[in-house]
Amino acid sequence: MIATWFAIAGLMLILYAVLDGRNFGAGMLHLLVARTPAERRQLIAAIGPLWSWHEVWLLGFGGTVLAVFPKLLASAFAGYYLALFLILWCLLLRGIALEVGGHINDRMWQAFWDHVFALANLLLAVLFGVAAGNLARGVPLEPDGTFSMAFFTNFFRTSGYVGLLDWYTVSVAVFAAVILAGHGATYLTLKTEGPVHDRASTWAKRLWMAVVPLFLVISVETAMVRQDQLGNAIRNPLCWLGLAGIAAAAAALVSGLKERRERRAFLGSNFVLASLLATGAAALFPVVLPSTLAPEYSLTAHSVAAGRASLAIAAIWWPIAFVMAVAYSVFISQRYAGKVAVPRDSQGFY
Amino acid sequence: MSPNLSDPAFWSRLQFGFTVTYHYLFPQLTMGLAWFLVWWKWQALRTGEDRYNQAVRFWAKIFGVNFAVGVVTGIPMEFQFGTNWAGFSKYAGGVVGQTLAMEGMFAFFLESAFIGALIWGEKRLGPRYHFLAALAVALGSWLSAYFILVTNAFMQYPVGHRLEADGTLGIASLSSYLMNPWALVQFAHNQTAALVTGSFVVAGVGAFYILRGLHPTQARLYLRAGTCIGLIASVLVAFPTGDQQAKMVGRHQPVTLAAMEGRFESGPMAGVALIGQPNVAARRLDNPIVIPGALSFLAYGHFGSNVRGLEEFPREMWPDNLELLYYSFHLMITLGTLFILLMAVAAFLSWRGRLESCKWLLWVLMLAFPFPYIANTLGWMTAELGRQPWLVYGLFRTSDGYSKVVSNGATIFTLIGFVGLYFALGLLFLYLTGREIAHGPDVAGPVRTETAGGPENSHLVAGRSEGMHV
Repeated sequence: MIATWFAIAGLMLILYAVLDGRNFGAGMLHLLVARTPAERRQLIAAIGPLWSWHEVWLLGFGGTVLAVFPKLLASAFAGYYLALFLILWCLLLRGIALEVGGHINDRMWQAFWDHVFALANLLLAVLFGVAAGNLARGVPLEPDGTFSMAFFTNFFRTSGYVGLLDWYTVSVAVFAAVILAGHGATYLTLKTEGPVHDRASTWAKRLWMAVVPLFLVISVETAMVRQDQLGNAIRNPLCWLGLAGIAAAAAALVSGLKERRERRAFLGSNFVLASLLATGAAALFPVVLPSTLAPEYSLTAHSVAAGRASLAIAAIWWPIAFVMAVAYSVFISQRYAGKVAVPRDSQGFY
Repeated sequence: MSPNLSDPAFWSRLQFGFTVTYHYLFPQLTMGLAWFLVWWKWQALRTGEDRYNQAVRFWAKIFGVNFAVGVVTGIPMEFQFGTNWAGFSKYAGGVVGQTLAMEGMFAFFLESAFIGALIWGEKRLGPRYHFLAALAVALGSWLSAYFILVTNAFMQYPVGHRLEADGTLGIASLSSYLMNPWALVQFAHNQTAALVTGSFVVAGVGAFYILRGLHPTQARLYLRAGTCIGLIASVLVAFPTGDQQAKMVGRHQPVTLAAMEGRFESGPMAGVALIGQPNVAARRLDNPIVIPGALSFLAYGHFGSNVRGLEEFPREMWPDNLELLYYSFHLMITLGTLFILLMAVAAFLSWRGRLESCKWLLWVLMLAFPFPYIANTLGWMTAELGRQPWLVYGLFRTSDGYSKVVSNGATIFTLIGFVGLYFALGLLFLYLTGREIAHGPDVAGPVRTETAGGPENSHLVAGRSEGMHV
C-alpha cells in the first residue's frame, strides 16, 4: 500500500512537471520566440485554455501528500520555508500575468505583463530545479525528522549542514531550466503556426542539443554526490527501465524534430521528462527525503505514511477523481484542438 | 487577548488569518455569482432572448477577474498548512489531508477545466456546452467549498477519526467524516451567505446603471434577479441556517456560545444582548440591553433552559480573544438583520415595478455591496476565534500546531510579503473590475472586432473575443 502511494504521489508530481513544465518553458521563451504584441497573444493562447488545470496537479499533489504522507509534508514544507514562498509568489505572478495581460489592449500594459510572465516562469523553472536538486542530494534532517535550511552555507559541500544552494543544486537548476525550455519550445512547434512556430522549432533543436551534455554532467554529478545510493540504483531494475524509457523517448523526440512530426516530438519530450523523473524516484525509494547528516535520519515512505485506514480510504476515491479529472481535460482539449494562429481581432488569451 | 509578540503561534495565526480572509473575499462572490450565470444561461437557452446572453457575457468578465484572484490567493493556503502549521499537519494530516486532496482532485480540476470555456468559449462551445460549462464551474466552486467546510467542521467538531498508534489522527469512517453534521449546517449557512454577497453585487451594479441612466434593459435584469435572490438568501442565511449553526455551537462548544454572547454567569432565562461591552477583567457585560430568555430559547428551545456561562469553564478553555469574538458575532447579526430589511423593501418595490423610480433606495442598494463582504468575514472570525484555543476542538491546541523550525522572523517576512503583494493585487483587481463596470455590458454579439494592439484603441475595454484557433 505504501509503495503504491509512493508511486501515485510520484505520478502526480511527474504529471505536474510535464504539464506545467510546458508552460514554464513556453513562458521562458515568451520574449524570444514571440516578438510582436500579436505573436505574444498567440503564444499565451497556445498555452491558454488548460493552464490552470495543469497547475491544479501541484495542489492535488500537495493535498494527497498531506493525506497519505503527513509527516513528509510537515517536515519538508516547514524546512523549505522561504524557498517555498518564493515559488508560491512566482506562481501568483505567473497566473495574474496570464489572466490580466491580455485584458487591456494597450502596448505598455501588455509589455509589462509579458515581461512579468517570462521572468516568473524562468524563476519557477529554476526554483523547481533547485527543489529537485535538494531532493536528490538531501537536506540536513535531524533525528526528530525536521530540518531548517539556509539559502546558502558552503557552496562546495554537499553533506552535513548544507544550504539550499550549492554547486550541485545550482547545476540541477540550470539543467531544469534548459530541459523545460526545450519542452516548452517543442510544445509551441506543435501548437502554433507562422513565425512563432519557426522560431520555436529552432530553439527546440538548440535547447535539446544542450540538454545532452548537461544530462551527462548531471548524471556524473549525481553519482558523485550520492555515492551511497549508486549501488542500489544500479541493482534496481526499475532504474534501468527508466533509462530505457529515456532513450526511447529521446529517439522519438529527435526523429520527430528532424522530420517535423511535431506530435511525435512532443510526446517524446513529455516522456523524456517523465522517465527522467521516474528514474530518479525509483532510485530514491523507499527514501522520500534523504538526510545529509546521517542516512538513518532520512525520511522513508514507511516512516512518514498515515495510518493504514487513511491510505486504504484514499485509495478508493483517488482513482475515481483521477479518471474524472482526465475526462474534463480531454473534453476541453478536443474543443481547442489544432494550431493557434496569430490573432487578428483579439487581445484575449484564447 | 494581549498578543505575545514572541509567540510563533501568534505570527502564524496572523499570517493565516490575513491570507485566508483576503482570499475569501473573492470566492464568496464567485460562488454567489456562479448561479446567476447558470440561471441566465438557462434562460437564454430556454427563451432564446439575447439579453440573458448579454448578462452572462458581462458578468462572466467580472467573474473571471474574481476567479483568477481567488485562485492565485488560494494556492498559498494549501501550502501554509505545511509551512506554518507543521505540527497540525503531522497530527491531523491523515484526516484533513483527505478533504484537501479531494478538493483538488474533485473540485479544482472541474473548475479549472471549464472556467476558460465559460469566460471565452461561448462561440467555440455553442449554447448547450456553454451552459454546461457554467454549470460545471458553479458545481465545482460549491463542491470545493464543501470539502473545505468538512475540513473546517472537523476542526470545530471532530468526527470519523481515530487515534493511531503513533499519537496522530487517522480516518476511521470516511462517510461520518464527510457527513459531519457541523459541516452540513455550516455549508448551508456559508453558501447562502455567498449568495447574499453575489446578489448584493448584482443588484448594486443594476442600481448604479439605473442611477446613471445606462443600459436600462440589463440594469432591470440585474435589479430584479439581485433583489429576488437577495431577499431569499438573506432570510435563509439567518433562518434556518444561522439559527442551526448557533444551536450547533451551543451543543458542541458551549463555552464558545457563552463567549459569543458575552455571558459570564450560568442559569435559565438567558438573554440575548443587543448591546453591551464584555468586560473580561471584571467578568461581566457592561451597559447591557438584553432580551430576557431569548438565548435560552434560541439555543435550546425553552426559555427555562440553562445556558452555561463562562464561569463554569476553566479560564484556559475560553476563546483567547473574547472581545473580538463577541463583537464579530454581534456585528454579523446586526448586518444580517439589516440585509433582510433592505432586500425585503427592495424586492417588494421591484415586484410592484416601482424600484427604478425610488432614487434613495437605488443609492442604498448601490452602496450596500461591501457589507455582505464584511458580514461574511465577521462570520468566519466568529467561527475561527470561537474555536480557539484549539486547532482540533478538544483534541489539539493551537499552541501545539505551529512549525517549530520556522523562526518568527521568517513568518513576519512572508507576512509582509503577502501584505505587499495582496495590496498590489487588490489595486489591480479594483482597477480591472471598475473598468468592466464602467464599460458595461456589450449589446453586440460575442465577437468584437478591433484592430489588434493599436494604441488608438486603448481606451476601449477589451472585448475578449476568440477565434484565434485555426
